[in-house]
Amino acid sequence: MRKLLSVAVLFSLILSSCGLKQASKAAAYPGMYDERPNTILIMPPINRSTNVDAKEYFHTTLYAPLAEAGYYVIPPFLSMDILKRESAYDSELFLDGSLSQFGEIFGADLAIFTIINSWDKSTLRAAITVEVEYIIRSTKTNEVLFRREGKVTYNTSVNSGAGLLVNIAATAINTAVTDYVKVARACNGYALKDLPDGKYGLLYGTDGEELSGAEVFKVNLNSDSRY
Amino acid sequence: MKKHLIAAAAVLTLASCARQKPLYDWHDYDDTSYGYQKDSDKESIEDILGSYNDIVREQKDGTRGAVPPGVYADYGFLLLQAGQTKKGSQMLEREMKLYPESKIFIDRILKMIEE
Repeated sequence: MRKLLSVAVLFSLILSSCGLKQASKAAAYPGMYDERPNTILIMPPINRSTNVDAKEYFHTTLYAPLAEAGYYVIPPFLSMDILKRESAYDSELFLDGSLSQFGEIFGADLAIFTIINSWDKSTLRAAITVEVEYIIRSTKTNEVLFRREGKVTYNTSVNSGAGLLVNIAATAINTAVTDYVKVARACNGYALKDLPDGKYGLLYGTDGEELSGAEVFKVNLNSDSRY
Repeated sequence: MKKHLIAAAAVLTLASCARQKPLYDWHDYDDTSYGYQKDSDKESIEDILGSYNDIVREQKDGTRGAVPPGVYADYGFLLLQAGQTKKGSQMLEREMKLYPESKIFIDRILKMIEE
């Protein structure tokens, strides 16, 4: 009996880590299933943090996870150029307003906004903590179809196997020059992991019964994290 | 036997949390695209053009076996900016062929070249 109980506890732990208590994807993101969007435009990220480069980190690393989710992603460099020409480079101006022009210019069904609220580096704790929001809105209805607000702590510590002091030194160096692209990639990958599959995804139209993730999350990640 | 079943179920449960194998093979795009966005100098442009070339040439680690959406288009766009008009236009055409939903904005770019 005890054994059975511990197995049950273990399972519930595993399941809860996937967000079992959450609603199904179809219930959590009804617009994604009603509208069946295919093309998505990456809006230039909004950077409210003190890290001046954070905007670039997030922009370049959003493309792959969205394409991997099966969407047609409007080519990021080409679209940035057009947005600049059309004086639409400041996403803040469109965060709450009409998005219909992006449907007309790019044929985009969706626009994804990212807001980087903070980016803090702690060399002593060997970690980078990022607070970021993701908002996906329909260009047809202007409704928010998917939203995430996360606090991600990315562990940069190094275990070289050469003893504590060497590890501490290696960790300090690693945090100082950490590949920030990896941090942004981890944030994006985690936040978008349960986005319903788009047209080119294997589960397009069939993943509505899968469980959705939490809209607000806190997570610890590192270079070995898989999602 | 029972233990095996439990282990198998646990593995399946965990596997269902993660996306399946990647649809596309991105080669070193993550690094070179950041370098290009940050510096846009001669070296970073050469690097990202190299990544695009790898991506369109080989998709062995991608389950779709197709070039990812937007790659031909951005490749073509960067070639156009580098003065390689013919090859650039060819790449834009390939994007439209593979992903007809791109026609709306690629037509706009092609028109801009003609002007």
